[in-house]
Amino acid sequence: MFGVFMLIWSFALVSGIVMVWLLSWAIRRGEFRNLRQGARMIFDEDEPIGLVTDHFPGAKR
Amino acid sequence: MTTETTPPVAEPEFKVRVEVDGSSRPVVVLFWGSSLLWLIIATLAGLISSIKLHSPEFLGGIEWLTFGRIRAVHWDTAIYGFGGLAASGTLLWLQARLCQVRMPYQTLLLVGGVVFNIGLVLGTVGILMGYSTGVETLEFPLWAMPLLVVPYVFIVIANFTMYFTKTTKHTYVSQWYLMAVTVWFPILVLSAEACTNLGAVDGVAQAIANWWYGHNVVGLFATPTAIAAAYYLIPKVIGKPIHSYHLSLLGFWSNAIFYNWAGTHHLTGGPLPAWTITLGVVGSMMMFIPVITIGINHHMTMLGSFHLLRTSPTLRFAVMGSMIYTLSSFQGSLEALRSHQEVTHFTHYTIGHVHFGMYGFFAPLMFAMMYYGMPRLMDQEWSSARLIRIHFWCTLVGMSIYVIAMCYAGIRQGLMMNDPSIPFLNIVRFTVPYLAMRTVGGLILLTGTIAFLINFIRIITPHKYTWATPTLLDTDRDWKKLLAQENAEKRGVQ
Amino acid sequence: MSRTFLLAFGIFLTIASSITGLVIIPNWQFQELKPVVKLDGTRYPEVYFGDQARGRAIYINQGCIYCHTQQVRMKGYGADIRRGWGTRRSVPRDYLVDQPHQLGTMRTGPDLASIGARQPSVEWHALHLYNPQITSPGSVMPRFEYLFREVRGGEMVSSDAIKIPLGRQIGDATHIVPTDRGRALIAYLKRLNQSYPLPEANQ
Repeated sequence: MFGVFMLIWSFALVSGIVMVWLLSWAIRRGEFRNLRQGARMIFDEDEPIGLVTDHFPGAKR
Repeated sequence: MTTETTPPVAEPEFKVRVEVDGSSRPVVVLFWGSSLLWLIIATLAGLISSIKLHSPEFLGGIEWLTFGRIRAVHWDTAIYGFGGLAASGTLLWLQARLCQVRMPYQTLLLVGGVVFNIGLVLGTVGILMGYSTGVETLEFPLWAMPLLVVPYVFIVIANFTMYFTKTTKHTYVSQWYLMAVTVWFPILVLSAEACTNLGAVDGVAQAIANWWYGHNVVGLFATPTAIAAAYYLIPKVIGKPIHSYHLSLLGFWSNAIFYNWAGTHHLTGGPLPAWTITLGVVGSMMMFIPVITIGINHHMTMLGSFHLLRTSPTLRFAVMGSMIYTLSSFQGSLEALRSHQEVTHFTHYTIGHVHFGMYGFFAPLMFAMMYYGMPRLMDQEWSSARLIRIHFWCTLVGMSIYVIAMCYAGIRQGLMMNDPSIPFLNIVRFTVPYLAMRTVGGLILLTGTIAFLINFIRIITPHKYTWATPTLLDTDRDWKKLLAQENAEKRGVQ
Repeated sequence: MSRTFLLAFGIFLTIASSITGLVIIPNWQFQELKPVVKLDGTRYPEVYFGDQARGRAIYINQGCIYCHTQQVRMKGYGADIRRGWGTRRSVPRDYLVDQPHQLGTMRTGPDLASIGARQPSVEWHALHLYNPQITSPGSVMPRFEYLFREVRGGEMVSSDAIKIPLGRQIGDATHIVPTDRGRALIAYLKRLNQSYPLPEANQ
């Protein structure tokens, strides 16, 4: 039983360290900069922000 | 590898979109269309099992249709037939649109779609004939599984190809979820099959593997696809960027980390080491984080645009789905608590919760995806607004009746079961009226699905029905003519 | 490209960690579990053989799991023991020979972990499977009449025929004889018994 818990704890510890390292690595690389840009990429000139793109068929815009 | 398929930058984005949609048409329509047929089959199988549970004589004496087999067929066709195909069609189309690339490997994917359907038929017939493996959610006999796994590998490859050849600079939230699904699902299926039906682990550990899978197939396959759809549809339809992109990042990773661990709460009170159950409960509780962040993101984006629910069919289904995502996830997290499980585990409450999630959250978002995608893929409007309305209200009302009846009956059933002075058969008799109510809910759901199927068949066949004023595709028309001309000229040159 | 790799790696890590933590570690923990040898030299749990093994396959392919569990919760958590579904809670050792597991998650019908101890009579099982209304009026369990051969009035009655109680007969069948499959399923149900007092169940 003790062995199992040791395994679980060391496993949790290692994955925790890896996670923290990945996060800091991502921050250093600037992954979190310019996030707003990503949110806007589904819009373009033909379907810009502000344009409603779905209606019941037959309904007037 | 990265730039070959890039269209010239000067081209209007719109033309790219038309090209993407045109190249996706055969594959996506095959996946979505067959998913609807499987939804009808799954609903019928569900109805038969539902009726059998309050009138056991119904279709009695036919071994093929005994409750234990038709019940397995119901869930497997719902999750792999409807869920698998609808989610894969959504994945392919959404990824192509967000990467702005043409659909790759079209023939391979078409063949894959057909093979997947054959695999489903074989698996279903296998269960009905008594070849079920007996492992919940993995009932399909092993000889049917390659026909499901191999086509899915095609989808994974296509998804990665699109992502690696994308012509856009940024990555959208939905794309993280779609990438995650294609990493998770094959690993899930293969390791779960190895641990259960292939016997890599046995006894109680096998039960954990079973429910690790059973919970994750919903949480790491159906849920992320539906969330990806909501993240795309809600902002796109109302023309407003998502509320907070930072939150979506937090939502994604907390969902990825915590959902994995939640499965063991399906075995609360069972013969397992206590710590495995505790992990499941903790995982379920931690799910509040992604659920709240995703909920804030979706609902705050919608804020101020609720009037559009009247006019947009896509939005109706998408908002229904995202709202019920919040509700059913709260319900699910609370349900995982030991004190709650003491009562509702082993009762119809669980069944109610599953349908709340699958038919209140996942299915509406798939429907929303189809309502948005089909006119653009087929270059043709939906033929009937009334059928859309019927579909929506049937989905909402049928699902509500179902879930309320089952959850209420489940709580009462659980409380009675924990009181040993009440004979077991009295509890069974108590649930029968609610089981009948569920059949009514199921019938309403079936009506809605049939309405949708009629509309779907009309939109994939050229219909004469055209609206006086085109609603979705008016701006597209000129461009499509231009494109057709251009293509004709190109052919002429060759 | 490296960003994509990071995304995929992170995603992979989440699922790899959960299957390690939830499946592989518990499985490893159970490796040391062995059946106990009882005083009379037999083992508990004993492997399924003959009719029991065939009966288990029928239990699986009829989908009994969708309404019946095979797990007794501990005293004080639910009323499983007070309802008489078992004399002690179920423990991992009870399931050493179960492949695939049939723990179940639904109790439309009662728990079956020790149904063999609760209902030791072949006759009860036969009548119950043939038509649940005979033994349990109001039950919603399906009839498994195809696991039995009906004997009509006037036919020769063999020695293993079971009489259908008067007033419960459907049509002109007066007796039933279990087919091979019916006999196997009953053998399996009769063997389901977790009453052997394993020491770890009292902890």
